[in-house]
Amino acid sequence: MTTLLEARHATRIFDGGYFDRTSTLALDDFSLAIDGDRPSIIAVVGESGSGKTTLARLLLGLTSPTQGQILYKGQELQTMSRAVWRAFRRDVQVIFQDPYGVYNPFYRIDHVLTTPIAKFGLAASRAEARASIDGVLRAVGLRPEETLGRFAHQLSGGQRQRIMVARALLLRPRVILADEPVSMVDASLRATILASLRTMNRDLGISIVYITHDLATAYQISDTIVVLYRGSVVEIGDVELVVKRPQHPYTQLLLSSIPLASPERTWMTEKPSTPVAATETIDHGCKFAGRCPSVAASCRESAPSLFQTDRDRAVACYLYRDAPTVTGDHRQPGRSR
Amino acid sequence: MRELTVSYDTPLGAVRAADRISFGLRAGERLGFAGESGSGKSTVALAILRMIQPPGRIEGGEVRLDGVDLLSLADEDMRRVRLARIALIPQGSMNALNPVLRIGDQIIDALRDHEIRTSARERDARVRELLESVGLRSEVAEMFPHELSGGMKQRACIAIAISLRPRVIIADEPTSALDVVVQKQVMETLARVQKDLGASVILVGHDMGLMAQFVDRLGIMYAGRLIEASPVRAILTRSLHPYTRMLIASLPSLEQKGTFNGIPGLIPLLRDLPPGCAFHPRCPDAVDRCRTERPGLREVRPDSWAACHLV
Repeated sequence: MTTLLEARHATRIFDGGYFDRTSTLALDDFSLAIDGDRPSIIAVVGESGSGKTTLARLLLGLTSPTQGQILYKGQELQTMSRAVWRAFRRDVQVIFQDPYGVYNPFYRIDHVLTTPIAKFGLAASRAEARASIDGVLRAVGLRPEETLGRFAHQLSGGQRQRIMVARALLLRPRVILADEPVSMVDASLRATILASLRTMNRDLGISIVYITHDLATAYQISDTIVVLYRGSVVEIGDVELVVKRPQHPYTQLLLSSIPLASPERTWMTEKPSTPVAATETIDHGCKFAGRCPSVAASCRESAPSLFQTDRDRAVACYLYRDAPTVTGDHRQPGRSR
Repeated sequence: MRELTVSYDTPLGAVRAADRISFGLRAGERLGFAGESGSGKSTVALAILRMIQPPGRIEGGEVRLDGVDLLSLADEDMRRVRLARIALIPQGSMNALNPVLRIGDQIIDALRDHEIRTSARERDARVRELLESVGLRSEVAEMFPHELSGGMKQRACIAIAISLRPRVIIADEPTSALDVVVQKQVMETLARVQKDLGASVILVGHDMGLMAQFVDRLGIMYAGRLIEASPVRAILTRSLHPYTRMLIASLPSLEQKGTFNGIPGLIPLLRDLPPGCAFHPRCPDAVDRCRTERPGLREVRPDSWAACHLV
């Protein structure tokens, strides 16, 4: 297996400010490998503060891990040569959450498409550049004649986000990191953008890391799902298993909290639970212990490691301590493919 | 509400953000307004409270609360109606609270502004009772907003909203900034205090799942128009308008993979609405009549209303 992009025991700690001695563990011993030969869609799901954006920033080399490594084709990002960085910047593309903030309001939107062509010398002539731009815009369902020549404010959020997908596509990358790509897009357009990610994966062989708080869209597009809670993986594996038969109490809580658009009303309970304190500090043990309905004494003593409960799934919870422990650098259980 | 119309004056001419909206809110009912951005759902909510800011203005129509037309009230009388009779739980609780006032003082502020004179002891007891009713400990009264989590701040906003026992609570995307676990707790809290008060709730939002689980009746807005209004179960199982149907089909399901489809085309610009039905350019069933004649909202089945020529 050739690993294209990999996080190996990556930990990222943010120190408090000048007046603040507390530090935040944003990502805790996280390992994930993206296979170069078998393009997949991996969803990373978590709520705010789960470390999902930190993970995206680490994988993009925008920040470096406090411990552990981020590797591109086996080389550590921090020590790569310029030439390898250049290849990395082409192979690994990103789509950010905010389709408003990524555009310079003074430039026409053509700018975000022509710049990468010029930077990476992707076209020999103007005509060739225009042809590839037209191609990628059509691939994401936009009409070039209605899109090019406009300014960002003249387009809708959905159109702007699709242009970002088109831009990523232009570089023919191996991996696209999509950090909440549809959370600011209207419902009717969401499906279209997610469908274009799916198409890119299937038809063009691009791996996608889909980072989101939304389990429903994650379920729809991904093969493998990683559930993060306060920087730690609580459950990882085949998306059907995790969503249909969640094992970690946190995954179960998350799934039961989603209001479903179904006529069966089972979502609300009569007696609302009391909110947990915003700043609950856990020094050791399972980070979910304070909220867990199945908490036991051992949970507060040391953090559980990942237990392989199925061929394609692992759970970090002592309820499954009888299952074998997942070891080694490749913590990703085998995918069903 | 009858024929309520709200316009925004722009350099390119006036646009109608809410176009002749009519509906009735029943006592104790939970009514939802769902739609995508720019559909006019928040405009309707703010117009009820007469909180539309220039360049927006209420162009016409009626908003009656227990027979009194709110649009013809003097400003001072309207100010008294806000919070006491109709309360708002705003979007983004983090910005709605005053960062330099303790939560308890912000609740008292609201009571005092409505000239409720009580002794300090009674007031403190009332604050404690309000906080407890939304599931917050009474110590929260002494805390500042930055010491609370998003969900706790939203509960504090609910406590303020119910402090004068209003008849109607308008909740404008009350949980859009919250995580899904916290969202559920906040909505459960809102449901409980509403029941205790016997108040009606108008929930404005874009999350159809939340609507499905919370409201009794649902109005669907598109391009400033109310295009369907039915009991929520009917909307989910037998929706009338093609837009509603497609919107529901576009929702990602957790049961079946690969079952959601986007709606082709784009939301029209309010200043450049297509003639006839505003949805016709995206509608798979559109006929000639849809392109020329605007459909009115009519009762297609008992209690189920739709604005479509085809139903």
